[in-house]
Amino acid sequence: MNRMMKASLKSIAGVLLGLTLALIVCHFAGESPWKVLKVLFQSSFGSGYDFGMTLFYAAPLFLTGLAVSIPIRAGLFNVGGEGQLLIGALAAAYAGVVGKNIASPVAAVLFATAFAFVAGGIWGLIPGILKAKRGSHEVITTIMMNFIAAGLSSYVTLYLIKDPESSQAETMLLPEAFHLKPFEKFAGAPMGWLIFVLIALVFVIHYWMWNSVRGYELKAVGENEKAAETYGISKQSAWMFAMFMAGGMAGLVGVVEVLGNAHRFKLGFSADYGFVGIAVALLARGNILGIIPSALLFGILQKGSASLDLETDKVTRDLSYIIQGLIILGVVAEGLFEWRKKAKNA
Amino acid sequence: MNQTETAIEFKGVSKTFGNFYANRKLDFSIRKGSIHGLIGENGAGKSTAMKVLFGVQPADEGEILVNGKAVKIRNPVHAMKLGIGMVHQHFMLADSETVLDNIMLGHEPSTFFGLLKRGKAREELEKICKNYGLKFTKWESRIRDLSVGEQQRVEIIKLLYQKSEVLILDEPTAVLTPQEVKELFENLRKLKQEGKTIVLISHKLKEVLEFTDSVTVMRRGEVVGTKTTSETNEDELAEMMVGRKVSFTYQGPRRILSSQAVQPKSVLKFISERVSVELRPGEILGVAGVQGNGQTEFLKALSNPSVYGEKYFKGKYDYLVNGREIGDATPLQLRNMGVGLVPEDRLSEALLKQQDMTENFLLGQHEDPRYTGLGLFGRMINRNKVKAAVEKNIQAFDIRPPFSTVWTGRMSGGNQQKLVMARLLDPQPSILLVAHPTRGVDVGAIEKIHEAIMMERNLGKSVILFSSELDELIDLCDRMVVFFDGRVHGEFARKEFDPWAIGKVMGGA
Repeated sequence: MNRMMKASLKSIAGVLLGLTLALIVCHFAGESPWKVLKVLFQSSFGSGYDFGMTLFYAAPLFLTGLAVSIPIRAGLFNVGGEGQLLIGALAAAYAGVVGKNIASPVAAVLFATAFAFVAGGIWGLIPGILKAKRGSHEVITTIMMNFIAAGLSSYVTLYLIKDPESSQAETMLLPEAFHLKPFEKFAGAPMGWLIFVLIALVFVIHYWMWNSVRGYELKAVGENEKAAETYGISKQSAWMFAMFMAGGMAGLVGVVEVLGNAHRFKLGFSADYGFVGIAVALLARGNILGIIPSALLFGILQKGSASLDLETDKVTRDLSYIIQGLIILGVVAEGLFEWRKKAKNA
Repeated sequence: MNQTETAIEFKGVSKTFGNFYANRKLDFSIRKGSIHGLIGENGAGKSTAMKVLFGVQPADEGEILVNGKAVKIRNPVHAMKLGIGMVHQHFMLADSETVLDNIMLGHEPSTFFGLLKRGKAREELEKICKNYGLKFTKWESRIRDLSVGEQQRVEIIKLLYQKSEVLILDEPTAVLTPQEVKELFENLRKLKQEGKTIVLISHKLKEVLEFTDSVTVMRRGEVVGTKTTSETNEDELAEMMVGRKVSFTYQGPRRILSSQAVQPKSVLKFISERVSVELRPGEILGVAGVQGNGQTEFLKALSNPSVYGEKYFKGKYDYLVNGREIGDATPLQLRNMGVGLVPEDRLSEALLKQQDMTENFLLGQHEDPRYTGLGLFGRMINRNKVKAAVEKNIQAFDIRPPFSTVWTGRMSGGNQQKLVMARLLDPQPSILLVAHPTRGVDVGAIEKIHEAIMMERNLGKSVILFSSELDELIDLCDRMVVFFDGRVHGEFARKEFDPWAIGKVMGGA
């Protein structure tokens, strides 16, 4: 517990450091830092709609954060969240085409969820297999899989299941049964019960990682491959499993977007959720529960950035990216300091 | 010591890491033209002291006098300029280059146009060897084709070529046969006669007593004392090292193995073209040999035949445990058949350093029904039971610090090994594969570990003990096989144990 407290204190310190730097940048851009903070806060929590949107931006990050954190346990760095979520979303949209006769909303949603999970999972599993069988570095292969996913999703959207009546690059509208209902309190923000399901999912994964034999095997492989092998834990199977789970998690972004928001697959819907997920996982320092506050923070920044653009004179949307960047630097730089201390002591 | 000059003198040298003193106010001097031993347990600060002297790490306090002059040694290059040279425990040679190029590296004689003058270097080297009476001719051989003893000689010649006056040797005998050790020390004596000063870092009391002129003992970062070797003995040095009286040989009960001599059936049998070994019930079978002669491969094949049987023995072998053929068993299957393992390298193969004792205790036991069971999300770990078992073992093995939540990477080597032993014995195996159980382990823990192994034997369990410490094998084993060049090269029964004879076989005779 003590160790966890220390780690979260470090993350908080990193966030504060990054935020301070960002506000200094604002100051020099000619905007009052105090006002920037106020706008950020109000636009994320100011009304039901604002809060709903913040959660909507955070929701995919829970999933892509998991997609990075799970493989980190097994010693792998998954950069392929973006591709995995595209494939998952595409599969969710495709589930609506295949299962257009499913009338029960529960069955429809479960059907599409399974589609998204498995499709994303397979997209993650491929680099996992390449790593396990051929030793290909997962960072390279997952990046390549991102390109393939981008091309594939364009092709499928434009040529296979395009909405013939739309002038935009999007697939056909899903039947009513596949639509998730948002809370009315959120006044139009596309987020409902799903947010609780996602938070519960993070807790379940955390519990499972910590207490299951499989989770133990991932941890053992991630920490010391040779020792794991010596004591009968297959690193190959751990890697493939971790990458399948990771891809599945990222694939579930399809549920948030396709079932919860657009009710179809729109080309270019993702605001780099897969990559921001890396930052979310870094900020959480590999702690699965840490993903919850970390994803919320990035949701706030995402939501606030739009308002900063409108409500201040000097600060634009880009500032929020600068803040995000500075926060990540703050967290990572602190990690560097730790590493240096270790190196000196060795 | 007034009549002779001092080569090196430590005056109140301290070195701290954070608030931990690796060296505290070291005061001792090394006489010119002598062989000086520096002994102590692992972590006593010997290596740190020599790193300070060699300029790898600067001292925080105090000063070092070289030839009577205080100097601040900035880095190894500076140390070499001052005439201090070091042979590291792991040789610093480029494997695929020739001896000549390795020796010249950093001190190449060259022409005006930057071309190497290899001929000149070689002439010089031959002169050095003649002057110091060293036998060496393989100047054009590649390092990887030399034996370990020859590689060591190359390191020493390299220091002489660099005109080092003080030669520091860090555990030089760890990888040598008794014969090679003797040759090494003969060479060192010749160097001493020519006026060189030699510092010998060691934890082997016998060789220090036999070959040094004076000896400094360190404990917990401090110098306990410096003795003239001829005026001290093993017991005194041991007591200084450990801080209490210790015995180095196992003195507990040793059950007589009467019946097996008559009916030598085996509990474990491994038969292949090059290596054939049988383990009899209730015996400790030693596996001796100079590092790198096939013991590692043999142990890997024994402990994980599913992977290494194919890799090292091309699948052509018979492996039987209690009469059952298990040629491609996994480690978990072996465990279920009652075979337990202490791997060769504790840190890289046996431990998860950034996990606590509970998590480490689970390694290999992660499917044991005592600690895991089916739950809502698949097979789950019952942490309370694991924790209870760990706490019981912390008591039984006196593991320190006695908290199950401590990271194993922060424990001392001895305590780490006790945990590995506890984990080995927890499922009550009937066959124990134990490799280097006391490597990097302090003397107190060595006693405890030897006791545990012997107790298992006396309970009728069978043990294969791999070790590079011949003394340890002679002390504990009932029978010994010696590896050389990838095959079993000799076998000795307990009554035939003689270090000299075994050493000969280790060297290939």
